[in-house]
Amino acid sequence: MTQAGVGEPVDTAGVRLERSIARLLTIGTYLSIALLAIGFVLMLATGVSPLAGTPAFDPASIPADLLALRPLGYLWLGLIVIVATPSARVVASLIGYARSGERRMVYVSIAILVVIGLSVTLATGLEG
Amino acid sequence: MIVGLGLLAGGAAAGLFGSLLGLGGGILIVPLLTLAFGLPLITAVGVSLVCVIMTSSAAAGVYLERRVANLRLGMTLELFTAIGALVGGLIAFLLPERVLDGLFTVLLVYTAVTMARQRSPAPAPASAVAAPDPVPATAAVADGPIGEADRDPAEDPHRPSPVPGPAPAASGAHVFGEAAGGSALGPAPRPPFLQTLSGPDYRVHRFGFGILGSIGAGLASALLGIGGGLIKVPVLHVVMGVPLRVATATSNLMIGITASASAIIYLIRGGLDPYTAAPTAIGVFVGASVGSRVAHRIDLRILRGLFVAVLLYTAWQMLQRALA
Repeated sequence: MTQAGVGEPVDTAGVRLERSIARLLTIGTYLSIALLAIGFVLMLATGVSPLAGTPAFDPASIPADLLALRPLGYLWLGLIVIVATPSARVVASLIGYARSGERRMVYVSIAILVVIGLSVTLATGLEG
Repeated sequence: MIVGLGLLAGGAAAGLFGSLLGLGGGILIVPLLTLAFGLPLITAVGVSLVCVIMTSSAAAGVYLERRVANLRLGMTLELFTAIGALVGGLIAFLLPERVLDGLFTVLLVYTAVTMARQRSPAPAPASAVAAPDPVPATAAVADGPIGEADRDPAEDPHRPSPVPGPAPAASGAHVFGEAAGGSALGPAPRPPFLQTLSGPDYRVHRFGFGILGSIGAGLASALLGIGGGLIKVPVLHVVMGVPLRVATATSNLMIGITASASAIIYLIRGGLDPYTAAPTAIGVFVGASVGSRVAHRIDLRILRGLFVAVLLYTAWQMLQRALA
């Protein structure tokens, strides 16, 4: 199945870009599921209750938690991966559209990333 | 351990029913976490957003691989859903929980009424609806238009369906399309950028309505933890003239950015509970995968009737919370 109708030219650059993005989304989803599953198993093994309350988000502690096999490191990393996957898709689109010279879509991609960046900035500022 | 497994099972049930009925996951997950597990609504919304991103990313990957989604249109509109989600994510922490409970009650009633009015599709042959892998099923959970538009990926997505299908909107799209552009494929003058957003067999109309609908969907997503397909799919299909299957797939694609724009705010501001999110999200993913494989064996009319009753009962419970 292709987007082009019968007798119409197939947008090969567009097809390649969509397939690349599809792979990126699939990998991000399964990576996140795997990390969350490891974290959940570690939760069960260490007796951490899911209703223990929301822990503070501290990205700096993730590497140490991962090495020490503490559940929180895997859980935070899994959540970061899944929340960042759509943004990674926009970055991939930006690169793809820049290569194919679609300026309008390049601007759209940049604008989306600006909004995402604004979310991070405002949330961090309000939290601080 | 029991609570963790309960969340896993509850998430799986939400994913399963969402997949079978083409419902958004958030509309099931938020009541589950608040009413059954006693979590604050803001925490439930944060968890629901994670589930929504996960299922929509998986589904969007399949839709793009099969070339069902319109990437250019989706990206252009998701800029506006992201803006709506950014605003919604910020005000969600300022609104009293009662207000959010009240808004969710309205959403539940609206969904129940929409489902009750929906006509049941004829049973499809197993080969037409059975998913070749577990991922496509999540499309329904991530962004259900309360229809079965994504049940047959083998069909050409850019060709308007010869049969209106279960959604009355299918015929409405034709009417609106003609009203907006003279004729659905006619020679009416059009801005060049709308041509780049159109497909080979359809043309996009009324982009301004698309912007408004996208901002509204982003706001609803951030405030209530839903995918927003209830808003986006009708806007894309009925108002903008996009074929139903493409509208569903494109809406699904947009959800990832929409939900992540607000999920980032929930994450940084302490509204995202990893201990609750992990078992729930895993359960939803597994349940949705199972749902795709058994959908063709189940009489959806009975299931839909039962589900309308569950939605109305849940709405009553949420209303009591809002008024408490």
